[in-house]
Amino acid sequence: MADVAYHEPETLERALALLGATEGARCIAGGQTLVAMLNARLVEPAALVSLARIPGLGRIAGEADGTLRIGATATHAVVAESAAIARDFPLIAETARLIAHPPIRAFGTIGGAVAHGDPASDYPAALVASDAVIEIASLEGRRNVPAAAFFVDYLTTALDPGEIVSAVIVPHPPAGARGHFLKFSRVDGDYATLSVAAMLAVRNGTCAHIAVALGAAGPVPVRDREAERALIGKPPTREAIAALAEALAAKSDPVDDVRGSSAYRKGLIPGLVARALAAIAN
Amino acid sequence: MPDVTLTVNGERERLAVDATETLLDALRARLGLNGTKLGCNQGVCGSCTVLIDGTPGRACLTLAASCGGRDIRTIEGSATGGKPSVVQQAFVETGAVQCGYCTPGMILTAEALLKRQRKPSTDDIRHALSGNLCRCSGYAKIVDAVRLASERMPA
Amino acid sequence: MNAPPIANTGAVGQRIPRLEVQEKVLGQALYVDDMVRPRMLHGAILGSPIPHGRIRSWDKSRALALPGVKAVIVGPELAPHHLGAFIKDELALVREKVLYVGDPVAAVAAVDLATARTALTLIDIEYADLPAVFDVEEAQKADAPLLHENFEKYVKVFPAEYSGRNVLSISTIAEGNVDAAWAECDVIVEGVYESPAQAHAYIETNGALAEFDAAGKVTVWSCTQSVFKVQAAVSEALGISMAKVRAIATRIGGGFGGKAEPSAQIIAVALARETGRPVKLILSRDEEFTMMRMRHPAKVRVKTGAKKDGTLVAREFDATYDAGAYADDSPGVMGFGMLMARGPYRVPHLKCVGRAVYTNKIRTGAFRGFGNPQTALASEANLDDLAAKLGIDPLDLRLKNAMKPGDTWAGGQKVDACGLIECLEKLRKASDWDRRRKAPAASQPGKRRGVGVACLAHISGVLATSAIVRVLEDGSFSLNTGAVDIGQGSDTTLAQICAATLKVPIERVNLVNPDTDASPYNWGTGASRVTYTVGRAVVQAAVSAGEQLKQRASMILECAASDLELREGGLVGLKGVPGKELPYGALVGFSHYVAGGPIIGTSALMFDGPGFDPKRALLRGVPFSNLGAYVFGAQAVEVEVDEVTGKVDVIEVWSAHDVGKAINPQSVEGQIQGGVVQGIGYALTEDVVWDGGRVVNPSFMDYKIPGSLDVPYAIHPIIVEHPEASGPFGAKGVGEPGLVGVGPAIRNAIAAATGVRLSVMPFTPERVWTAMRAG
Repeated sequence: MADVAYHEPETLERALALLGATEGARCIAGGQTLVAMLNARLVEPAALVSLARIPGLGRIAGEADGTLRIGATATHAVVAESAAIARDFPLIAETARLIAHPPIRAFGTIGGAVAHGDPASDYPAALVASDAVIEIASLEGRRNVPAAAFFVDYLTTALDPGEIVSAVIVPHPPAGARGHFLKFSRVDGDYATLSVAAMLAVRNGTCAHIAVALGAAGPVPVRDREAERALIGKPPTREAIAALAEALAAKSDPVDDVRGSSAYRKGLIPGLVARALAAIAN
Repeated sequence: MPDVTLTVNGERERLAVDATETLLDALRARLGLNGTKLGCNQGVCGSCTVLIDGTPGRACLTLAASCGGRDIRTIEGSATGGKPSVVQQAFVETGAVQCGYCTPGMILTAEALLKRQRKPSTDDIRHALSGNLCRCSGYAKIVDAVRLASERMPA
Repeated sequence: MNAPPIANTGAVGQRIPRLEVQEKVLGQALYVDDMVRPRMLHGAILGSPIPHGRIRSWDKSRALALPGVKAVIVGPELAPHHLGAFIKDELALVREKVLYVGDPVAAVAAVDLATARTALTLIDIEYADLPAVFDVEEAQKADAPLLHENFEKYVKVFPAEYSGRNVLSISTIAEGNVDAAWAECDVIVEGVYESPAQAHAYIETNGALAEFDAAGKVTVWSCTQSVFKVQAAVSEALGISMAKVRAIATRIGGGFGGKAEPSAQIIAVALARETGRPVKLILSRDEEFTMMRMRHPAKVRVKTGAKKDGTLVAREFDATYDAGAYADDSPGVMGFGMLMARGPYRVPHLKCVGRAVYTNKIRTGAFRGFGNPQTALASEANLDDLAAKLGIDPLDLRLKNAMKPGDTWAGGQKVDACGLIECLEKLRKASDWDRRRKAPAASQPGKRRGVGVACLAHISGVLATSAIVRVLEDGSFSLNTGAVDIGQGSDTTLAQICAATLKVPIERVNLVNPDTDASPYNWGTGASRVTYTVGRAVVQAAVSAGEQLKQRASMILECAASDLELREGGLVGLKGVPGKELPYGALVGFSHYVAGGPIIGTSALMFDGPGFDPKRALLRGVPFSNLGAYVFGAQAVEVEVDEVTGKVDVIEVWSAHDVGKAINPQSVEGQIQGGVVQGIGYALTEDVVWDGGRVVNPSFMDYKIPGSLDVPYAIHPIIVEHPEASGPFGAKGVGEPGLVGVGPAIRNAIAAATGVRLSVMPFTPERVWTAMRAG
């Protein structure tokens, strides 16, 4: 592709300015998705604005209130290998560990994954189950969008033109909550045929907190807060979990694609939701 | 055309590249380093694996222009003074090489693994190689080669 | 001429590292895409966007106007010479009708690849759509769209039999009287089995580099399994004398049958001719999935009758192979599948009828197994079902009916060497079969384990081959066979055979790269033939060189040549007189400067064993009369099935093969393990998904071949050696067999684990899940 400009700004403000200045400019972080698209000529940007050289944009920090702030250019490998994240945010750590293959994890970023908005990718369901918030940067400033509202449709997010994901903010899990990411795929490293991101806190034999989001079950992660609320204060029995799974299945609208038919994916939901929750029920 | 200065196998190179040119294209077409292979151009097969600042990465998913200041090692940088590395020699001996097309990527990935982890288990090796496809060998002898190399490397 | 006695074998039986391994580990191996020639252009091919239609018009003007484009060629500009290995039904570029999505219709040469690919989008071709057919049953209906209106006129290089709409070949093999035999049977089990297309998915795609010289001779470098096929195809397609076509093999990044017939070579030559410059044409990965060829999907109905003690009485097979849009190797693939269908068992009554049918999809052709995996699935699944019905252990059922040395194959060819029973016995022991059948403990709740078995036979052989062994002035050798090493290690194996025959260390053998200018004719690498067929030729040529060395020595030592022997280290000596000997180099010096002339050992052969016996068997429409040596094997697989998802994990595999003699055991193991993993992909993870005639998943992202974590490390090759008298040092082939029995072994293991008896491959999680819930 001739005459495409390439920029490596050193501040987020400069990156935003460059993005706004050129019609058809795209930003790039790890490139693990975008460069594949460039190679296949699926996109033909007028300019590329790299976020890779902005110091601090990939910084991972724990806030005083226990919130985790993951900078947009933090790689999957860094998130997966962080002892602190594994200890306090196990759902996030486990998710990052299951993305694709080691070389992709070494360079792919959470910001890139989130901005791409593929419901069969791994982060969206985990972030929705975690009640994470997506921090969006623009020349106007910053705004926060809850993950559940950020993923709007298949490959479509709440990002407006000229906006960049700057961080993912994950609230500290409720006391005693355990997290698990169950990814079912055809082969190792593939996109999920169906995934279940689950958080569960059991206190005195009853649910104190429960959150379940499904990946690859529709155009966006699928979650049913009302069905979850019905379990609070109740024991997580097989029947109770089955009811939650049924509610999720009713809300799901998976595609028919090479990884499986819609009917199959829906059919998997009860068994995989049960399996995911069983893994963290104690 | 962006200018980029990077180190390749210990040598400093300054290249004028297209913005959308991959590191794979730059290595092969501009530097004549053909050991890094094109298999899918999509980041799945791993035959384009190089070490970027010591970490295995897909050269076909890396923009050449983004490699400024980076230290790139290709398969051509594994041998020293013409002498095969411990990993290369182990691949020679265990029958890990059939058609050879996945071999450079496998060797570099193994070298990076053994630098991080001196005595990996069979499972550790299989996990490390999980991003490199081989259509010929069935993987077993490649795993054997990595294990043999780990046994031979100084502690 | 048979192999010398197997006693002092020297290099034979040694785990010698590949001759070319250094360049491969150093990254210096030259594959076709690594080659650069001065002023080289880059080529690209345009494929049809529709599955069936007539071309109304071509307009190249916009493409030619793009800066950097040096040539655009379309079908009518090439001679209308039809090509095809069995039925000459295709052209290098379409002239009238496109028959599948991806059918090559035009090609471009430009200064760089990006420009060439952009130019493809600027070629304007107008099509008139025709109704298309994608299913073999539909294609045979009286009113189905007809793909090849001129089928009757096509040259067929074998006595083809065909009838019915879109049917290109029918093969029939029958022995005994199947129809009468059912009455003798205590039990009859029937089934229908479907197997999918499979993409070769070698990590290196197809490609070629063509360059003309000033005298009008073209050199074609390509990743081909046969330089002679390339030479012939280029000559035939473009009307260039073979004397003006030189085909050279580069290093090959995997073949598996997908690089056996020409792909990019003819078009690369046409572009080089048009532009007067070298042209390199490498297929992209998605073009590899859509433009060239795949394995035949097939549907096989099988019926087996037996006595209640498990003795097989009668078997009947009815198969339809989906040939795609062009015949390619279909008559051979389907015919071979029919020949092998019976399996390595004693079955007095047999009837196999197969047909190959055109559909508007990518052509299907040679792929490791060559029609055998499709019938092996049906045959071995059906035998397992029979065992279950009879209450006999499936391995015992195979043992009971297994072929023994001296038995005949279907069609009457006597098989003198058969190690099948030893394969089964070793398999039973190595896999701890009896314990695994009784009490399979799953790794965790919600999973179920089971073990399954399949036997297989295959052919090692076919067609013509030759070898030249030249002795050099220092007593080293040049070995030239024209056989292409596609990564399976044949160069090393052949060098070992040569070195062992001539009693020299392998370092003294130089292997000449396959080159039609220099090499003697070799049909190609495939059919598991190189070790056996080419190896035989190498032995003969080496023995001939050895005789000539003795003859020169007899002149010097003044004795009879029959008093002389070859000795380790490369000497000719007087029998019984140690120390009375001459090194080979001295004899060559004598030949070049005193008397005798250069020492050149040659051989030329075709498989000369017994063919089919028309008194024993009916054979019609089968495109070969004799093939080669039979090879045998047995495979066992332990699987674990996830009850929630239906996913099948392969836990461990045991694969026992009678290879006659393992010339290089490390290479034999590697071929078995590689074949097994390719078979696991075929059985479980590789699913070509169609939308009408379009491949929906033409990428590694969406078409999944197994990675290191998708297969067990524990894949145990078990080498059995029952010497094949006609083979070099007793050896025969193993290139394909590793794949053949894996599908049914997995299917049978799934049945053992879950009770579910599947009949459609691949056994995807969805299929297994659906079947588990259905019954």
